[in-house]
Amino acid sequence: MPSWFSKPHRSFAPWALLGPNLLLLLLCMAGPLLLLARISFMGYEAGHGIIPAWQLANYKKFFFDPFYRGILWGTLLLGAEVTALCLVLGFPLAYALSRARGLKRAVLFFCILMPLLTSTVVRTFGWMILLGNNGFINHTLLRFHLIAAPLRLMYNVTGVLIALGEVLLPFMVLSIDTALLNINPSLYEAARNLGARDTRIFFRITLPLSLPGIVSGCVLVFTGTLSAFVTPTLIAGARFKVMSTIIYQQAMALLDWPFGAAIAFTMLIAILILFVASLRLTERRRSA
Amino acid sequence: MRILLRLLNAAILLYLLAPIFVVMATAFGASAYPLFPPEGLTLKWFHQFWSTPELRDALRISATLSATSTAFATIIGTFSALALVRYRLPGKTAISAVLLSPILFPAVVLALALLIALQRVGLTQTFTGLVAAHTLLITPFVVRLVMASLAEFDPSLEEAAQNLGAGWWRTFFRITLPLIRPGILAGAVFAFIMSFDELVVTLLLAGPELQTLPIRIFNYVQYSSDPTISAISTCLIAAWLAIGIPVYTRFLSVRHS
Repeated sequence: MPSWFSKPHRSFAPWALLGPNLLLLLLCMAGPLLLLARISFMGYEAGHGIIPAWQLANYKKFFFDPFYRGILWGTLLLGAEVTALCLVLGFPLAYALSRARGLKRAVLFFCILMPLLTSTVVRTFGWMILLGNNGFINHTLLRFHLIAAPLRLMYNVTGVLIALGEVLLPFMVLSIDTALLNINPSLYEAARNLGARDTRIFFRITLPLSLPGIVSGCVLVFTGTLSAFVTPTLIAGARFKVMSTIIYQQAMALLDWPFGAAIAFTMLIAILILFVASLRLTERRRSA
Repeated sequence: MRILLRLLNAAILLYLLAPIFVVMATAFGASAYPLFPPEGLTLKWFHQFWSTPELRDALRISATLSATSTAFATIIGTFSALALVRYRLPGKTAISAVLLSPILFPAVVLALALLIALQRVGLTQTFTGLVAAHTLLITPFVVRLVMASLAEFDPSLEEAAQNLGAGWWRTFFRITLPLIRPGILAGAVFAFIMSFDELVVTLLLAGPELQTLPIRIFNYVQYSSDPTISAISTCLIAAWLAIGIPVYTRFLSVRHS
């Protein structure tokens, strides 16, 4: 580290430089999140508004009311399904990406980056054109007489799974690609020199050593699904609700902010736990 | 086996790129609703985008909001990056984790929290409130890219300037700033794109007077089907690819190193 910035009499300088950012985080993030936590323990009555008394009613309602518990499980199940889909599709692509060199890698990389640079609304709109009853997929399948009636791909969980898998796939591919690139190539050589076959090399070296990338990819996709709002709203509409759409509905349509806040806070805690757990898991692997 | 893997990967790439391709293709189709494969060839939907007042307003609002937020984020983020890379600080890892944390939180959670907080100070449905929210969401990208840029160059250049008698400001403006300009520019471009595309937080805070382009697209798509949306999307995809790809490649190589 250089000396000129770190002179003792200048030690106030970094804090002055960090000041605006810390103030921004305090006023626009920490403060609002604390308010969110506080309000989630308040009551609400239609016509009266928010009732400022400490209570657990919102959390009880979310965890024990069959309707909302169904939404919680539905969201978690969707997260598991999307994660599984992204893992199955992401690994082969990441494997190819990590082995490609030069122009081929640049082209592949571009194909994976392009969706990331396109907004989720636009990509979901594309899926709406493809998945509708008169959409391209049903139209093609009907024309070739592969199905007798259009498949229901919109306004249900199938459509959300298909679209959300596509939206989140780049995160999985890039995570696994990083892990695969970090494997020391001499390990492959050594294994081959010792007579190991391709399948054995894959299961004994490639797969175990790419596990940190798989874990972080899965966490990114799972948490991405938990917090996804645009895709479920546009693809499923009112037919299939997830946690985010319920939060939005409570906040904007029903104005029951305390209940919305309780669901939001639950989601936040769940995601933080997942991130911390995955960090722990990958750290332990690295040190082992 | 190898051919099988190639076919599989081609299919996966098709799945990944299909929606973007479909949106772009339907922007040029002549039918009154987005039809794939498109029939006929026309540019009328692009004209439609430009001649619809509410869409043009939305474009203007989005551009103003993103430019303002990006200006704030670039200054705030560059300061933070300087503090984190160039100084000895206790708990540096923790501080940088905190600075980058707005990316981690689900947008809908931050949106509701900001809605509740801004309501208290009467800033919901105001431009100021939106700028504050967007600045929060995009500053981490600037911090990250400028930090990477700072870590790349040799601090002895700064020391040399100091030894030759230059003061803090002179050293900063003559040495540090020119050297990290590419990083700052990359951060600003990336922050701008992120702000321009932001939907969820804006949706909860904006109100009827401040409908940004993503909100208009979202509402259109939800209640009607119109190739004008394909045309807008195509414009956005083209713009972001043109300015974004060089920056994004850099960002990812930074994140993954």
